[in-house]
Amino acid sequence: MMNDKNSQKIVDIIQNYARLHSLFVLAYGTGCGAIEIPPTMTSRYDAERFGIRGAATPRQADVLLITGYLTTKTLKRVIRVYEQMQDPKYVIGFGSCTINGGMYWDSYNTIKVLDKYLPVDVYINGCMPRPEAVIAGFVKLQSLIREGKAEGAKLYKDNLEQYRENQKKVIPNWVMPEYNW
Amino acid sequence: MEMIHLILIIFLGGAVLTYFAGKVNDILRDALFILSILVPAILFFTNVNPESYIDLSIAGFNMKWGITHFGWIFSLIVLGLGVIVSFYAVSFMKGRDKVGSFYFNFILSIGAMLGILLSQDFVSFFIFWEIMTWSSYLMVVYNGNQVQKIGIKYFVFSAVGAYAMLMAIVITHSITGSFLITDLIAVFPQLSNQMHILIPILFLIGFGVKSAMMPLHVWAPGAYSNTPMAYTSVFSGALSKMGVYGMVLIMITLISHIPEGHWFREVIAWMGAFTAVLGTLWAVAQDDAKKLLAYSSVAQLGYIITGVAIGTELAMLSALFLSILHALFKGTLFMAVGAIEKQTGTSNFTEVSGLIRKMPWTFLASLMAIIALAGIPPLGGFVGKWMLYESLINSNHYILVIMIFFSSTAAFLYCYKFLFGFFLGQEEKEWAHVKEAPALMVVPMIILAAGTFILGAYPGLILSPIDAGMQAIGFEATQGHYWEMSVILNQWGDQVVLQPIVYAIFAIFLFFFLFLFFKSRKNTRYVTTKDISSSGEVPLEHENLTFSQNFFQPFLRAVEPVMRRQIDKYYNEFGRGLEAIFDFGRRIYTGNGQTYAIYVIIFVIILLFFKNNLFG
Amino acid sequence: MEPILYKVFGAVVTIILAFVVGMTYMGLSRKITARVQNRVGPPVYQNFLDALKLISKKTAIHHGIMQMMGPAFFMVTSIGSLMFIPVLNDGRFFSNLNFEGDLVFLLYLMVFGPLGMALGAGQTGNPNSAIGVTRGLSQMVGFEIPWVMALVALMIQYDTTSIVGLMEAQSASGTWLVFSSPFAFIAAVLAMLGMFRYSPFDIVGAPTELASGPVAENGGKYLFTMMSSNSIFAFVKLTLYVDLFLGGADNLIELLIKTFAIYLIPMLYGLVSPRYRTEQAVRYFWGWPLFFGFLAIMYAVVF
Repeated sequence: MMNDKNSQKIVDIIQNYARLHSLFVLAYGTGCGAIEIPPTMTSRYDAERFGIRGAATPRQADVLLITGYLTTKTLKRVIRVYEQMQDPKYVIGFGSCTINGGMYWDSYNTIKVLDKYLPVDVYINGCMPRPEAVIAGFVKLQSLIREGKAEGAKLYKDNLEQYRENQKKVIPNWVMPEYNW
Repeated sequence: MEMIHLILIIFLGGAVLTYFAGKVNDILRDALFILSILVPAILFFTNVNPESYIDLSIAGFNMKWGITHFGWIFSLIVLGLGVIVSFYAVSFMKGRDKVGSFYFNFILSIGAMLGILLSQDFVSFFIFWEIMTWSSYLMVVYNGNQVQKIGIKYFVFSAVGAYAMLMAIVITHSITGSFLITDLIAVFPQLSNQMHILIPILFLIGFGVKSAMMPLHVWAPGAYSNTPMAYTSVFSGALSKMGVYGMVLIMITLISHIPEGHWFREVIAWMGAFTAVLGTLWAVAQDDAKKLLAYSSVAQLGYIITGVAIGTELAMLSALFLSILHALFKGTLFMAVGAIEKQTGTSNFTEVSGLIRKMPWTFLASLMAIIALAGIPPLGGFVGKWMLYESLINSNHYILVIMIFFSSTAAFLYCYKFLFGFFLGQEEKEWAHVKEAPALMVVPMIILAAGTFILGAYPGLILSPIDAGMQAIGFEATQGHYWEMSVILNQWGDQVVLQPIVYAIFAIFLFFFLFLFFKSRKNTRYVTTKDISSSGEVPLEHENLTFSQNFFQPFLRAVEPVMRRQIDKYYNEFGRGLEAIFDFGRRIYTGNGQTYAIYVIIFVIILLFFKNNLFG
Repeated sequence: MEPILYKVFGAVVTIILAFVVGMTYMGLSRKITARVQNRVGPPVYQNFLDALKLISKKTAIHHGIMQMMGPAFFMVTSIGSLMFIPVLNDGRFFSNLNFEGDLVFLLYLMVFGPLGMALGAGQTGNPNSAIGVTRGLSQMVGFEIPWVMALVALMIQYDTTSIVGLMEAQSASGTWLVFSSPFAFIAAVLAMLGMFRYSPFDIVGAPTELASGPVAENGGKYLFTMMSSNSIFAFVKLTLYVDLFLGGADNLIELLIKTFAIYLIPMLYGLVSPRYRTEQAVRYFWGWPLFFGFLAIMYAVVF
């Protein structure tokens, strides 16, 4: 007979199927990468066929797409947006800048490694990554969700102190509500 | 002693006693105030039978007092609202000055309104009408000097109305030789054509002023918004209905019987519809809750006037039903504004926001009243509106349907503005100290709001006295073929069955509310209104992001051509012209003794001249 | 079977039908939009996946009790008005409350939803929501007028205010109301453009300027409730148009064809239109639609 664990597993599979095929993306156009989003979404590359569509506010979004370099000033807003999103939520780091700073590796006002501040699920490298690469990134995220491995939100919650420490290190005027999850 | 005398004496004596008790003890005064409205109300509803009259003769005038079935409907509004508001008023007036005179005028105007309903002859009718006008005038100028201008406007319009009415009464007396209302009704169809027009118009000016009909409405917004809110509930809820009461007497019992009556009623119906449309548009434009409700009262009375003027059975049912409903929900709303003003010190939407968590009961009462006002099923307002539309369509007034519908759809705008402006939006630190109003203020509101709800589910409760009243003024019985308990029927036989609808609506609402409430309850957290998705910014405590300035600007831009002309301006121009003439007249008084001597000489010469010419 | 249980069963079946059809139509509209823009587009069942995803969100927030009541009010409107609309001719589908309310009642019930939504949106304290609400209510005042005029014209012409009565009048005369009162149909269709909130009348949501307006603070379960009640409401409106103007439907297939034909009008009109400003949108409805409304009433009075 079905026990609780198995039925939970089935529910998870169904829910994950829905989640991976319906990704509402909040494209946070921080850097030059934002220009790659319109072709990805519109007729030429048509990301909507994967169930990917834009969301207007963080409350509705599933995926936070960080397109390019992040200045320390913007980082604060990005963190705020991420914390306002509802579980389950995923972060995609877009472009080399989010991996290691990219061409801004020695800049005084950008952060270098996004993963220190937010739990990134998928990186898309390149400078700039083409829309094909972006879609490949989404597909990668979908397969992670299917396997149940996209646990960024859980990671963030568990290691909140460490993330906070890193965030506060670069953001001097920290006036933010507590992350109460 | 007759019960009616006793009731009126209690009102009068209670008013005086309350006033003087204030010099002795505050609690005694409050108790006396409530008692001198509550006791007559109880006596009235237990001991006074409709259609039993007493005659009395004072100074050669034959007077007749008693209540008709029709007047009884309005006594329900006057005394019911009066009693409930009197409890509210005690709490509302706590700690204000001039409490004694407020109570005095309050009791007096309730008494005068009952007197109007009781009087079956024009002499006492006029006397009570004047007492009502005076006491309400004193309430309008309660706030002192800064409202003198508004007070004068109210007074001038009331005076014009009263004189028009007086003239009509005198003409009536010269024709019939009697002051009894029934005599006028009996004689009226045989009068000349001129009188057929003149008498109703003069009466309608008098009643139109009180019920704020369109060209005569300009006093209303100022007067409604400047009286203490505890009185405004009565002012807008009951006092304006006296105009409706008079109008029904004129429209139905007089001009239905004459051939000119038809176009006369059409004109009044159109004026009612214009009142509704313009009142609504102006209400949308207001930023002050009192002004908004004042204009909304004007608009709502427009519906009632239209219903009365159409004058079919269904239209009358709807007009009288809406009268009672209007007393309920507008009473609630004015009381809610009063409570908010007392707790926060302002009634301006642009200043207050986010009170819902601080004043939840006031919000609940306002919400129910607003839903009733907007005419949304299952609350009471819908029944009245539905009957009004059906009667308008049945009697072939198609454009009026559109106008009334436009007005009641646009009413959603100010309904939302009222709720949003006060209760929703961001919660501010500035208003963090605000507490819910005292129980004595909240309970009357909730009672009235619950009344709208009960009348929505069971309109038959109030439709049966209305039916009795309508039979008293010559309508056929509507029971059976128009309505039964909570079932309404129009002339085509289509109906709205309320009870299954009410149950269905509640079941659906409850189901989804509970679904949203309990779905992942553990993982649903409360966040403040500062924690909103505003492009990643965190609004600071002092930053108010509530959208309240120019609230309906796009809509007002769209309807701007209609609102450019204000009738108020014409009156003001007229008033300024008069002032100029009086100013010229004033120059005669130079203050110089020699000039006055010359005036005397000139006067004597003219007198002599006339004497020689005319009588010589 | 117990009559009350049977009624509840009928209501549930009707709701499920409306939900499925409404959701599918929205999916189809996304597909058609994509094809018009020379894209592949999402699968037709995409909206079901979205709904399932929204309801399986693990966490949620609320700004107060009103935020939960808002979507519930909207649902009352959708399901409530669904109960009054005959799905098929001659009561072949469950009749629910068909005979117990009339067109005026329906009109009032249908405007309740936006007001309830507006209250829910107001509680969130997001300025974008409030701006969206004022736009939505203004637009509602705009399109209600021609819409009411069309309905009044029908009521005059057939001496009844009940929907069932109008449907019977059509089957008795053997012709559809779209032919016997064409002006009313034109006015109603123009009003429908505003009712469906596709471009150029998508001023309420306006994702790029208002961050989706009234729903800005609502995700997860709230958005699910709104989405499903939106799709039920779309079904209600389409079925109402078919019942009133296209002679109703005798079976479900016919109903689907007719409703989809009606649905294409606002959708295709929207595809080629940019967005109006609020006062332009309001004034649009007081131009030609109003004129056709007057024509409809005059036509109904004369004939």
